[in-house]
Amino acid sequence: MDDIITSNLYGTVDSIKNNNNVYNTGKVIKVNDYNIEVTGLNDVSFYEEVNIQEKASGYVFGIYPDRVIVALVKINEEIKPGDMVYALKKEFKCLFSLDSVGKVIDVFGNDLIAGKKFDNLIEISVENKNVPLMDRGLVKREMLTGITGIDLIYPIGKGQRQLIIGDKKTGKTQICLDTIVNQKDKNVLCIYVAIGKTKKEVKDIYYELTKRGAASYTIIIASFHDELPTRTYLTPYVALSIAESFMMQSYDVLVCLDDLKKHADIYRQISLASKKTPGRDAYPSDIFYTHSRLLEKGCQHKNGGSITILPVVETKGGDITDYISTNIISICDGQIVLSAKNFSKGEKPAIDYGLSVSRLGGNVQDKMMKKVGSKVRIELLTYLDVRQIYELANIDEMGEDLQRRLREGKKILDNLVQYKFSPKTKQEMIDSYQFLMDQNK
Amino acid sequence: MVVGKIISIFDISIEVILSDDSVKIGDILVSQDDNNYAFEVVSINNVSATCISLNTTRGLKKGSSVIRLSDGIEIEYSDKILGRVFDSYGSPIDDKTIESVNKRNINHGTVSLKDVDVSASILWTGIKVIDFFAPLQKGFRMGLLGGAGVGKTVLIKELIHNVYASINANAIFVGAGERSREGKELYEDMKESNLLDKMSMVFGAMGDNPVSRSKSVYAGLTMAEYLRDEKSQDVLLFIDNIYRFMQAKSEIATELKQLLIENGYPADMANEISKIEERISSTDKGSITSFQAIYIPADDYNDEAVQTITSYMDGQIVLDRKVAELGLYPAIDVFKSTSKLVDVEKIGERHFKLIEEVLRYLTRYKELEEIIAILGIEELSEEDKRIFYRSRKLRYYFSQPMFVAEPFTNIPGQFVKIEDVLIDVENILNGVYDNVDESKFLFIGKYHE
Repeated sequence: MDDIITSNLYGTVDSIKNNNNVYNTGKVIKVNDYNIEVTGLNDVSFYEEVNIQEKASGYVFGIYPDRVIVALVKINEEIKPGDMVYALKKEFKCLFSLDSVGKVIDVFGNDLIAGKKFDNLIEISVENKNVPLMDRGLVKREMLTGITGIDLIYPIGKGQRQLIIGDKKTGKTQICLDTIVNQKDKNVLCIYVAIGKTKKEVKDIYYELTKRGAASYTIIIASFHDELPTRTYLTPYVALSIAESFMMQSYDVLVCLDDLKKHADIYRQISLASKKTPGRDAYPSDIFYTHSRLLEKGCQHKNGGSITILPVVETKGGDITDYISTNIISICDGQIVLSAKNFSKGEKPAIDYGLSVSRLGGNVQDKMMKKVGSKVRIELLTYLDVRQIYELANIDEMGEDLQRRLREGKKILDNLVQYKFSPKTKQEMIDSYQFLMDQNK
Repeated sequence: MVVGKIISIFDISIEVILSDDSVKIGDILVSQDDNNYAFEVVSINNVSATCISLNTTRGLKKGSSVIRLSDGIEIEYSDKILGRVFDSYGSPIDDKTIESVNKRNINHGTVSLKDVDVSASILWTGIKVIDFFAPLQKGFRMGLLGGAGVGKTVLIKELIHNVYASINANAIFVGAGERSREGKELYEDMKESNLLDKMSMVFGAMGDNPVSRSKSVYAGLTMAEYLRDEKSQDVLLFIDNIYRFMQAKSEIATELKQLLIENGYPADMANEISKIEERISSTDKGSITSFQAIYIPADDYNDEAVQTITSYMDGQIVLDRKVAELGLYPAIDVFKSTSKLVDVEKIGERHFKLIEEVLRYLTRYKELEEIIAILGIEELSEEDKRIFYRSRKLRYYFSQPMFVAEPFTNIPGQFVKIEDVLIDVENILNGVYDNVDESKFLFIGKYHE
């Protein structure tokens, strides 16, 4: 019985294989929003690029014995059942041009501001193999943001993944932009990846960066919600592939992913549409892997190059313990938490110094920054603690010592207030806390 | 020999139509054209086999012929594992090759009830705070909880150092689903502190596919079993992080279109965990004592996977950021750290009573701290003052200079015997040292002569 089935099946497979017409073409049998089902295409490989006549293109997303699922990335014209599908005999790749610096681009080689395709395009893999463990170096060089509250207290190193997390309108994107602007003349290539931002926002960001002279070393890669979700899903991976190609040539690259909550939601949409079983909060089980393999691309390479990643996650009601936030926190090397309360009090950047963490800490700072930084952090945290206890008390009725501590603490905190696009140098940061260091002599 | 052809590919799940009926579950198949594509068979029916891919499936062709490579993932089963770093599938990744003497399949039966040894002796670590509050028995499974940056790595290194120094036992480190950066840092650290040749490491980092992340635990276990069963050692096994193992299993179950329970975990979770945990035991030959980091997803302690894992633990060591901020290392939260050995019949009445008394003091100390913040110390009763000052001495006393931290602290490390700890603690509680300045207790070994 088994043999009959096997031989029958093999007979069928052979007859299809010998027929060259169906060898690498197929027919659309079902059209969904952003994927199609195809019969034929009997010799395709996973992730192979396919065209649907001149109407659309995509890649092989699933192969079943009787049909192939194609994820669509581009639709020029409506697809109908019966349309011919051609497999292109090569892995699906995106396009990139070296002229992209200073432009807003998508991952298919288009200059979105000029509204045309670049001329000199190179193919870029959606995902490369992970950098092997042994090819990674230690993260110990500083990546300065120009923001005192970060550089001094929760410093970021080249090759670090530092999450920026907070509610809407707390200045998450601004920290990315400040950091990019501060990389001027520092030989760092910056890639700002807009995931599901509005077109207005992206254009604003483009003007802000251009105005401040950051265009000469910054690439903005954008994908919008009114496009196919597959494109938005792929965008951060391609951005990291681009970053990787620079890192392998020993460049330092900074990548801002703004934001990954939207990316998680897009991935959930795609997964549910392809009938994957939902897990916690209806996200698929591999949502952690979706982000862990993306963010693991951030590293200090032993060849000297590095990729620093600043992923952004938007929270609701200041809750950083929800599923996606904790997942990404557990992947990153630390987090800058922004608080809506601080923001409205005018303490900008609205960093919550109690909840923020850098797992590399002083390892990435120079000696002086480390010395001043750790002192400021301890004094600040003690002050915030004390302030909370005495929040409702009348300061005039307190003991002399306590009054002095509260006064000093306030000064520490005031020194951290810094408005947008006003970066400070390391020396300025150290100088502004000289009073604290003098006291201890 | 060709055993079948690929007819379906969806992410990591692959369907192979079989032309050979000798294929069985657990076999490793590879694509004939490119043996970088390897798969493990997870289920079979009479015409086809469902497999999971060990690596990526990107570029894998429908209709490719597959051949059988082996009847399971194997890892070196000899002394050659020491000082080496492997991936989850048993290949060395430290730029050196390995001349295999003997290999062994990583899937094994658990220790039978007959062989489990529960009367095994206590494993003294020489770290005061662990030996006092959460003593270990050989074969224990300890949860190691605590956020990053509170000294987990230093503690792991000190344990390896001390256990090796006292009973000549090696250690295995399994990096399952954690950061590659940390893996590399640990490797460099071990190399620098000359501990590398006393241990083996396996990594299936978080950027690896779920099959690799889950197999790393089996691979590490197999190496630990080698040291226990063939070398009769008391092995230390560190798993960072056991939750990631279960998470990887959920991903695989989803890809295989299995029906899942709440929050997307596989229905056979208890079974999967117990297959791992039951291999970690003490036998008449030797023992595997494990420290397992447990990640808490979405800060949800009631998470089904976390609950299942913790039910296998014999105790836990909790590291606390607040203690670390005070500069007291090892930064252990003494209120939450405990083990099944803390039982009057197991550690004896004296030790047991001392733990109770110390915890009573430290609990009161916490309350007193708040009172003092408002009223000042002079307002306390004489009894409370005594408790306050003695508790401070106890807190300082449970800090300890570490051997592996010597290069940074310039204080020589100390291995402290439990008898000495008991005498010192007793003396502090009884007021023998009431006139000694509390700073004398900071970062010392034993105090009494």
